Amino acid sequence: MDPLLGEPWTLSPAVALRPEPFGALAYHFGNRKLTFLKRPDLVATVRALGEQPDVRSALVAAGVPVSQHAAYAAALRGLAATDMIRPRVEGEVA
Amino acid sequence: MADPVTDPTLPEPQELVAEDLIEEVSIDGMCGVY
Repeated sequence: MDPLLGEPWTLSPAVALRPEPFGALAYHFGNRKLTFLKRPDLVATVRALGEQPDVRSALVAAGVPVSQHAAYAAALRGLAATDMIRPRVEGEVA
Repeated sequence: MADPVTDPTLPEPQELVAEDLIEEVSIDGMCGVY
């Protein structure tokens, strides 16, 4: 299982999420990257990251089945590659 | 129309992958759209 699941992450402060029928558009004001989040529960996960102790807790809070956690972790790694989400420093306020 | 349950020529439902969840797009191609 991806170790990312046990780590604390948060939405980058440079990212705006625009709700869409399919999920959301994520726009990064720093690097001008635009990414479709193609499922509402992925959007809920990303929004929950900063409020949950780790990624797995955010997935559970968003209602993502455990059987899909690996795929969601891979998607979150894709978001991390463009700084849409970033590791959360302990004690940091989201 | 083919029935995905009974038609053996149709592919099995695929496992969820990251590409089903996110898609990065070029901002250069979005001028006037977003």
